[in-house]
Amino acid sequence: MADLNIRKGHDIRIAGVPGNEVQQGLKPKTVANQPTDFRGLKPRLLVQEGDTVKIGSPLFHCKTHPEVSYPSPGAGIVTVIQFGPRRVIEKIVIELAEQEETESFISFRPAEISTLERNQVLSTLMNGNMFPFIRQRPFNKVANPSDTPRDIFISGWNTAPLSVNLDVALRRRLPQFQMGLNVLQKLTSGKVHLSMYENTVSNTLLELKGAEVHTVVGPHPAGNVGIQIHHIAPLGLNDLVWTVNAQDVVRIGTFFLTGKLDPTLFTTVGGPGVKNPTHVKSRMGIQLETLLQDNINDDDQRIISGDVLTGTKTDLRGYLGFYDSSVSVVPEGGEREFIGMLKLGSSTSRYSLTNAFLGLGKKLYNFNTLNNGSERYMVPINAWEDVLPMDVLPNALYRSIIVQDIEEMEQLGILECDDEDFALCSFACPSKIDVGAMIRQGLDLMEKEG
Amino acid sequence: MLKFLRKTLDANAHRFEKGGFLENFFPLFEATDTILFSTDEVTESGPHIRDSIDTKRIMILVVIALLPLYIFGALNVGFQNALALGIERTNGENFRFGFSAILPLIMVTFITGGFWEILFAIVRKHPISEGFLVTCSLIPLVMPASIPLWQVSIATTFGIVIGKEIFGGVGMNIFNPALVARAFLFFTYPGRISGDKVWIVGPDGYSGATALAIPAAAVNQNAVSLLDNVNQFDFSWWNMFVGWIPGSIGETSKLLIIAGALFLVITKIANWRVMVGALIGLFATALLTNLMAPLSSNAMLSLPGHYHLVMGGFLFGMAFMATEPVTGCHTNQGRWVYGILIGMLTVIVRSINPAYPEGTMLAILLLNAFAALIDWFVIQANIKRRVARYAQ
Repeated sequence: MADLNIRKGHDIRIAGVPGNEVQQGLKPKTVANQPTDFRGLKPRLLVQEGDTVKIGSPLFHCKTHPEVSYPSPGAGIVTVIQFGPRRVIEKIVIELAEQEETESFISFRPAEISTLERNQVLSTLMNGNMFPFIRQRPFNKVANPSDTPRDIFISGWNTAPLSVNLDVALRRRLPQFQMGLNVLQKLTSGKVHLSMYENTVSNTLLELKGAEVHTVVGPHPAGNVGIQIHHIAPLGLNDLVWTVNAQDVVRIGTFFLTGKLDPTLFTTVGGPGVKNPTHVKSRMGIQLETLLQDNINDDDQRIISGDVLTGTKTDLRGYLGFYDSSVSVVPEGGEREFIGMLKLGSSTSRYSLTNAFLGLGKKLYNFNTLNNGSERYMVPINAWEDVLPMDVLPNALYRSIIVQDIEEMEQLGILECDDEDFALCSFACPSKIDVGAMIRQGLDLMEKEG
Repeated sequence: MLKFLRKTLDANAHRFEKGGFLENFFPLFEATDTILFSTDEVTESGPHIRDSIDTKRIMILVVIALLPLYIFGALNVGFQNALALGIERTNGENFRFGFSAILPLIMVTFITGGFWEILFAIVRKHPISEGFLVTCSLIPLVMPASIPLWQVSIATTFGIVIGKEIFGGVGMNIFNPALVARAFLFFTYPGRISGDKVWIVGPDGYSGATALAIPAAAVNQNAVSLLDNVNQFDFSWWNMFVGWIPGSIGETSKLLIIAGALFLVITKIANWRVMVGALIGLFATALLTNLMAPLSSNAMLSLPGHYHLVMGGFLFGMAFMATEPVTGCHTNQGRWVYGILIGMLTVIVRSINPAYPEGTMLAILLLNAFAALIDWFVIQANIKRRVARYAQ
């Protein structure tokens, strides 16, 4: 029996599920760090076009927290700093050198780590430009180093469609993962919570020490850290917790042991538009062209950095997001069916959480980017509630955000929410309302006014 | 042919888009375009893939669930007419007679409803809502076949304009527009739709009491034996269940209504909580009135729950009106309360209030008004739970 039994939610049966085999990724020509991946960040550049950087060198820091700098995912020459509308820095592109060098910082022996003070851990992370791997809830943005989090949460199970099997990604790197846990333990006055799938093949995570391990079962979004926080130790009004992606825990552990940033990242390449969906041992900030070379179908495809529910639309020349570890490819658009609303539908033509169509079997479905309808006012047939495993009333919360009633938003629990946990609501909504985006709007408003 | 249609639509699209000379009629074009061909809109961000369900599908499924009621309704109108005239007719003839009687009704409803919907869509610049299909399909079903067409037209106008459009259209309305239409007729022209006299397309001056009106008018008698003694119609439980009784076009066949309700529950369009709640409320209250029956001279109090179930418009209202997602409660706990109260109020209005032998319509409209309040309590409970957790 699992500690957390999530009932609501849905595992979308999308085609192109990556197998568990891992391909060795090719070395890309360029990598990039994209400041737009960090919510609310106001970056100040620390490099110029033409500068030479190493792996782990600071590229920019936050204007409001200059002590938090953001690392370079590769070594070479900064070739392009791309600005968007209103001079927003969109990406800093690094052309990789033949031989990449890594910036070296202070390192520790395993025994030393357990004797470190909180301040030493913090300053090591900040000096080494490693702090951005830690995010906070509420607001799901880069943490503030001057806060002391109540707890730290790590999800050891991905449930998002086509995401990385963490068993595969962590299997050979458990000592580093353990070191990462030891480091994170120093940062909180509370506990480090690690959640993992109940039936994990290797059960390896269970042997880890220094963390409270929770087993979880259930459909997506059971693997989302926000859902786990809600069920393990919900956020109170003034609570603040930190979260770290499982692969980044390994990165932090490695950093303390070697003093170097290891840009290795296990990623998936999947979706109906991919010829051979697979895991790839790749690296941070990689240009997607390198990952997808010759592996996508010819017709018009949408390339998504991240999963199909929460990822960012980009193209072959785009780069993998800082916190993303999957690349999804979905055919763009689709046919306009004659009197489509009257068709019975089958498992190959329609996919719905309702039973409004015939023949939804267990088969994987070739999704495309069709909206499958136009936006309408809310018709509450419980589509949102059925896929949201939280004690939050999405309908009421949505309304309070529309009218910008901050007090009510807070009472209805918006601080426990993040848009990624509501992505399935947007997926299932018959009125095609993007609930997740609305939650994000509400959070932004809370942050500005609160 | 299909390609020609598609091409024609595409070729004329620019005339309706901003700057085109038919710009004002864009909602009409958009509706035609997306009813004929599913939309080609693609996702922008967020979830890049979407569920296949949309409001068009929801509405069309409700209409499909209603179709058997139309067919049976036509049959029954013919059957009742033959009964009144005392002649023998085959089912085919009955259907033909009934269909020709209700077809003008359907047409008038859709023409009136479509007119207002399109007018508002053009003036208010919102898309034509597919919700009007359901509203217009429901209205004839809750009308007697003998109703004058001009009354149907006024009622539809009132239902769509006052019941829906002045609030901003589908999704914003407080009351179920089809019920508003019926209530309008009920209170303004009670001569034709009061609920105590049967309505039959038949000879002039022909009339009779409805099943509900019989015990409502009597004192000191048992309701069931009263019904059994009616000679004019067969008011046995089974016959009322199957539906060969006079009544509004769509309300008589409880069998087909249950089939339609199951269809909506299985497809997850309608919420089963409302229906189960309404049944619980109905049976519990009927049980209560039965217990009180010996203390009163009101014959209606002795009517058992399973008779309440098959008499009047309760099942129809429960299956197709109360479950309307927009005007009902929006929380699951709220839906239970909402359903139970509808069931209870139906029996109370029927039994205690002799002026209105039919209570379902009034019960649902009243609960429509209270739905937001019920939800408010559920929301407050949620907030209190959270506050209590914060305090720990």
